[in-house]
Amino acid sequence: MIHSTITGIERVSPTTVSIRFPWEAAVLPGQFIMVWIPGLGEIPISLSHIGDIKGITIKSFGPTSEALTKMKEGDRIFFRGPYGRPFTQVKGKILVVGGGSGMAGLLPLINSDTVGVVSARTKDELLFVDRFLEGNVIKVTDDGSAGIKGIAVDGLKGLDLQKFTKMYICGPELMLRSVYRYIREIDVDAEFSLERLMKCGIGVCDSCSIDGYQLCRDGPTFSKKQISGMHEFGAFKLTESGKRIALPK
Amino acid sequence: MSLLKTEVAGIYFENPLILASGILDENGYTMKKILQEGAAGVVTKSIGTVERTGYRPPIVAEVTGGLLNAVGLPNPGIDSFGEEIKVALEAGKPVIGSIFGGGVQEFVDLAIKMEGYGANAIELNLSCPHVKGVGSEVGSDPALVTDIVTEIKKRVKIPVFAKLSPNVTDMLEIAIAAEAADALVMINTVRGLAIDVYARKPVLSNTYGGLSGKAIKNIGLRYVYEVKMETGKEIIGVGGIENAEDAIEYIMAGSSAVQLGTVLYKKGRQAFAEISSGITQFMKSEGFGSIKEMVGAALP
Ligand SMILES: Cc1cc2nc3c(=O)[nH]c(=O)nc-3n(C[C@H](O)[C@H](O)[C@H](O)COP(=O)(O)OP(=O)(O)OC[C@H]3O[C@@H](n4cnc5c(N)ncnc54)[C@H](O)[C@@H]3O)c2cc1C
Ligand SMILES: Cc1cc2nc3c(=O)[nH]c(=O)nc-3n(C[C@H](O)[C@H](O)[C@H](O)COP(=O)(O)O)c2cc1C
Ligand code: FES
Repeated sequence: MIHSTITGIERVSPTTVSIRFPWEAAVLPGQFIMVWIPGLGEIPISLSHIGDIKGITIKSFGPTSEALTKMKEGDRIFFRGPYGRPFTQVKGKILVVGGGSGMAGLLPLINSDTVGVVSARTKDELLFVDRFLEGNVIKVTDDGSAGIKGIAVDGLKGLDLQKFTKMYICGPELMLRSVYRYIREIDVDAEFSLERLMKCGIGVCDSCSIDGYQLCRDGPTFSKKQISGMHEFGAFKLTESGKRIALPK
Repeated sequence: MSLLKTEVAGIYFENPLILASGILDENGYTMKKILQEGAAGVVTKSIGTVERTGYRPPIVAEVTGGLLNAVGLPNPGIDSFGEEIKVALEAGKPVIGSIFGGGVQEFVDLAIKMEGYGANAIELNLSCPHVKGVGSEVGSDPALVTDIVTEIKKRVKIPVFAKLSPNVTDMLEIAIAAEAADALVMINTVRGLAIDVYARKPVLSNTYGGLSGKAIKNIGLRYVYEVKMETGKEIIGVGGIENAEDAIEYIMAGSSAVQLGTVLYKKGRQAFAEISSGITQFMKSEGFGSIKEMVGAALP
């Protein structure tokens, strides 16, 4: 297990914080670490900051993520990694589409020319909208408290997607599915970062697998073409016990 | 390919490499992919009577020479596992159903259901070292092992493999107790512990775990050799195989086939294709015409 000391904490929404800590490792956009809270649990979290002072951005969901959001400067943070296949980076204009805490993993891709579709349940939960230049960001909220009222895919409808060299999408699987279905017939290159239950992070336990690929090793990023051949994408997942369940249609 | 073919209890394997239980074998699509990518067979994750979520992560620690794991036998329960076997069988290669239980009746019921799903053989996990009430406790009681194996043999037609634990005083005694099995699988993980000194705590949520990988290879080899010599039974060797030479060592110690687990963490799923081609090269350069010729070649 690697450990570091937290040098900075920034609250980025009422439920979400960014934690910064020095770690000299080469990390690429899209990769993740397994963060351990001794005595409590271990969860996969994307690197939202990949310079010398690394960072993760966590939304409080359950016990382990909640404990992380309560950590303080000077506390020790334990983790292993980096793991996973990074996003393929391209020259040219890119579009990032993030749902909820999915924006965390997209943050390292954003530059001054990047266009973003940022979606969340409500206005206060929209993450990192200030990282885009004025006019380069489309906000979408479930409750209509900011931007377009709807889901992430509704933010795409006013854009000419073919003018982007590549799209990067990160968020819950049902959001990814709706975006995938929308862009399926459009001539635009895209990469998706998937989220599934991860227990080991190193390709042995099978809890994160989709169509035989291990998200933690072969992913979590997958191309539009890879997604198109996946029979389990947006359709089935295995629970903590390994029980197969269908995702809502 | 035919150079590599082997047989265990009458089941044909196109090469001697089988996926070990508990590694990438919970989802039918993963098993199918691993078979399509070069494994000759797969053993499913160990399945019990009722659904279990397993332990909270950390369930695995990367340690010197391999992995320490305490996954906690997560499984959907036998009644929900048929679909995964069905998908895995689409690859057209042997699927071995691993089961675990607390007593004779439970094992028998599980074996009958596995056979019903179309599994080509049953592997009895008598040895999982880290769940109270099952595993080691079952596998370290010779009389109970004899009862379980004999009863199952009466009730199913497919071959039955008994997987043994090294966490006992005398593994040979248990191997003899499992006499009625069609083949023995050895070894399961070796009980161990890892501590993070900066956190001042054991790393695994379950504290203790099972050690696998290179660190246990020479322990496994010794057991295979000793048990083969003493019992002559068919054996599937497992424990720390990371390359072709490791696999050949196990074969020369008396294994008719071997299983791969932890190497998938090091090399990914391509470990199967890589090790197969290494074995072929060795056989050609050393003049072996079949796997059979190599089985037990190092025995006195
Ligand atoms: C590759 C990857 C990158 C991620 N990056 C981020 C990130 O940058 N920021 C962020 O806030 N969240 C991220 N997540 C999600 C995060 O891992 C879960 O929110 C977290 O595991 C919740 O754990 P918990 O113990 O706090 O809550 P729990 O009460 O255990 O669970 C809350 C929810 O999280 C899911 N979950 C629980 N454990 C896991 C697990 N081990 N793996 C995946 N999902 C789990 C549960 O199914 C449930 O829906 C990422 C997930 C993956 C797979
Ligand atoms: C993560 C993990 C989970 C395992 N789960 C099981 C299991 O459910 N049933 C079982 O019989 N063996 C289980 N094993 C043991 C392996 O099948 C194998 O016997 C052992 O790991 C030694 O082989 P290896 O060094 O090639 O991994 C597990 C091993 C690992 C690493
Ligand atoms: S999390 Fe265990 S295989 Fe991916």
